[in-house]
Amino acid sequence: MNLSRWGSGILDRGVGPLFLVPALLLLVVLLVGPFLYMVGVSFTDLSFALPGHDGNFVGFENYRRLMREDPVFWQSFGTTLVFVSSVVSVEFGLGFALALLLFHHVQRRRFVLTLLLIPMMLAPVAVGLMWKLMLHGEFGMLTHYLRELGLLGPQTALLGNHDLVLPTVMLVDVWEWTPFVTLVFLAGLLSLPREPFEAAVMDGARPWQVFRDITVPLLRPIIALVLLLRGIDAFKEFDKVFILTGGGPGTATELISIYAWRVNFRNWDLGYGAVCAFMVYLVVLILCAVSYKAIYWTEGRAVK
Amino acid sequence: MAVAFRNVTKVFPDGTVALDGFELTFETGEFVVLLGPSGSGKTTACRILAGLEPATSGRIEVGGRDITDLPPRERGMSMVFQNYALYAHKSVYDNIAYPLRVRGVPKQEIDGRVRDTARLLQIDELMGRRPGQLSGGQAQRVAVARALVWQPDICLMDEPLSNLDAILRLQTRTELKRLHAELKTTFVFVTHDQEEAMTLGTRIAVLKDGSLVQFDTPREIYHRPASRFVAEFIGRPAMNVIDGAIAGGRFRADGLELALPGRADQAVGLGIRPEHILLHGRPKEGAQAFRLDVKELVEPDMLLFVRRGALALVVRTKADLAGLDALEPGAEVHLELPGERLHLFDAASGLRQP
Amino acid sequence: MRKPWRMVALATLVVVLVIALTPYLWLLMTSFKTRLDALADAPVWLFTPTLEHYPMVFLDKGYLPLVGNSLIVAGVTTALSLAIGVPAAYVFARHDFAGKEDLFFFFLTTRMAPPISVVVPMFLFFGYVGLIDTRTSVILAHSTFNLSLVVWMMRGFFADIPREIDEAAQMDGHTRTGMFLRVLLPLAAPGMAATAVLCFILSWNEFLYALILVAFESRTLTVGIPGLVTPHGTLWGQVAAVAVVATLPIIVFTFLVQRHLVRGLTFGAVKG
Repeated sequence: MNLSRWGSGILDRGVGPLFLVPALLLLVVLLVGPFLYMVGVSFTDLSFALPGHDGNFVGFENYRRLMREDPVFWQSFGTTLVFVSSVVSVEFGLGFALALLLFHHVQRRRFVLTLLLIPMMLAPVAVGLMWKLMLHGEFGMLTHYLRELGLLGPQTALLGNHDLVLPTVMLVDVWEWTPFVTLVFLAGLLSLPREPFEAAVMDGARPWQVFRDITVPLLRPIIALVLLLRGIDAFKEFDKVFILTGGGPGTATELISIYAWRVNFRNWDLGYGAVCAFMVYLVVLILCAVSYKAIYWTEGRAVK
Repeated sequence: MAVAFRNVTKVFPDGTVALDGFELTFETGEFVVLLGPSGSGKTTACRILAGLEPATSGRIEVGGRDITDLPPRERGMSMVFQNYALYAHKSVYDNIAYPLRVRGVPKQEIDGRVRDTARLLQIDELMGRRPGQLSGGQAQRVAVARALVWQPDICLMDEPLSNLDAILRLQTRTELKRLHAELKTTFVFVTHDQEEAMTLGTRIAVLKDGSLVQFDTPREIYHRPASRFVAEFIGRPAMNVIDGAIAGGRFRADGLELALPGRADQAVGLGIRPEHILLHGRPKEGAQAFRLDVKELVEPDMLLFVRRGALALVVRTKADLAGLDALEPGAEVHLELPGERLHLFDAASGLRQP
Repeated sequence: MRKPWRMVALATLVVVLVIALTPYLWLLMTSFKTRLDALADAPVWLFTPTLEHYPMVFLDKGYLPLVGNSLIVAGVTTALSLAIGVPAAYVFARHDFAGKEDLFFFFLTTRMAPPISVVVPMFLFFGYVGLIDTRTSVILAHSTFNLSLVVWMMRGFFADIPREIDEAAQMDGHTRTGMFLRVLLPLAAPGMAATAVLCFILSWNEFLYALILVAFESRTLTVGIPGLVTPHGTLWGQVAAVAVVATLPIIVFTFLVQRHLVRGLTFGAVKG
């Protein structure tokens, strides 16, 4: 009797915030715990490759090494920044233009859009392989046609050339992610109220004035969102580039994730590797905090 | 200069016929009200005139010139939207200035005209605010200012008062009337509210099912409604219309008989407005006895709902009429339907019989 | 005046679609080409298809179990993430408590966390507890990012259900828990299906976690593919065959969830 009353009381109030416990538990055990462990490791000389380096405390030695003695880290950091800024701006421009085109001139958007989305839904590993096949130095389909057109020397391979490889990898990223930008902008355009556009037309605005004075300001939160989401994702890029070039030739396409992978899982220099991984996390965390604000901005506007 | 809808039809992609051979001609300088129930096509007519919506067929003419295919900005018309459609990301000042800016008006002149218009609408205190910080009434004034600042030939208003609360709606109504008198701009005003239409319009176009039913002054519409639909749509409470037939100079209906000399035999609806029925305390020559059902006080008037068999009528009278307080539901009242106040509508077509 | 613009638009669209789809078509074709056709000097567009690569790689080379691994990992990850994430999303949508938005931000950061920074500590941790090279380790790893996806997406779907429904259900005599199970969950079911599909796709496509955490028996399909690429004499027909099997189900799924994709990929900030 008493027990059942207690039971129905719980059911009635609803377990409420208790529902959060399993989710939090999983994240704490799998993310927070290991993360703290990694921070601990970053103060040691732990290495699976060097004898005697079995986790002795070395203080800030690894951090000092990163700041002072590791030009390769900073080079890959620079490569990553070039990669991120280039692909995000090109994808932004192309994706936005494509969204406007679909919005204004295409009726049966849904089907076209679904086809367009295929590149970004494929496993990035498969994307890397597809393009490795297309760009192969001997029998690559694209390589062949580029040589036919005289755009590429007979001995040059896009993925093997030190100067061409980074732009090539970026183009593959543009191919993969421009549809994402299009998808989000199209949804944004479709969610905008019709009235301000009609008001502007009645006020006498020409199409380009409507775009500049109404479309862009109303889409501003979505613009911020797209830039940040793509920025963060591009910063984390690993799979595709890893398959396409493995970071090479040399270190021409060694993005920061690939560098951190190499330090940890090729050199097995885990103490120092922990610092590298930590740095990547820090940059993303900062970007993330900004984007959270942007998302809330969007929601606040939507409510109005 | 005349503005004309010539046989305009609008069929939406889903098959809805919003306008069906719509014809309307009015002169510039008027305050034209498009009045009708929802779905009558009044908003569609307004949007086609603006150029926001293409007509399926037919023409729009201004001063004899065909403007059917002109984009909105070349029509010399402005519009006040139902939800105002202010630019949320611009200040009040920039909202009002926008039509001048996109037309390339010099900066100096823009400032002067924006300030003049704002003063006219008494919103000069609000210039720095954003639309989100305005009350409904203030937002409405900003929308009107934006529509008038560039002195368009015609200002279109699509139910601009329907989002205001009752008191504000009355104030703004008066304000619009004042603006029209002052500016002499042509106003085309869409509404479903017959009272708004009656007070504002120099002429009212009543629409039903995508066609024009009557286009007349408010006085004519009230006193000589062209059809039973107009008669029942205008005036509150609605006109009493009694279905019956004329035979041998007498009108007969279930529960009522009246002498109507000189009328041909036909089936008709006999209409009389509640305020035109005369109430008598005791039996009188030509008056008919009814039983009082419900009394409603609408100061300074009183509404009486009366019955006689299957026949139910509404009577509107002064509330301070002698002896009215003593009347209780169930009491007998005597009603006189004066001949000069009667309207006759054809039973089949609903058209007014002369 | 409108007509020529339409033509330009359509032409552009055709070019864009060709660019977007050709690489995948090429992959598909390669998986049915003989070794000779695949390595021909000039690209071969018309050829007699061969089915030899599929049985060769999946049966003779033993890639079939990898498909099983991928299915198990993605399936269990999805189930686990939904089971834990949906109730949490409900709490975020309907309950108010101190620190709620901060906690929500925490969920976002777990989704955004760069895999390389997460997998290093996980590798150390799973090594410590002896889970390296098990499917369990990959499932747990994938659950971290999918959990926050579920919370973010489902919060939006719950928030879309009017609160009056809750109130009506309670007036009808449901307990709050009963209302969640019998009224809200069925209403959110379409959104939940979309979320599940998206979880499945993300886990199925994932590479880095699986690459680091499993090596032999428990390899997933994505980890298996690069193993076929060698500096000398890569058998592209077989690579393509594995890649096709790894991607075709995803394309089907994409068609299924397209309507909800925007919401899933923008953390609910933009509704599709």
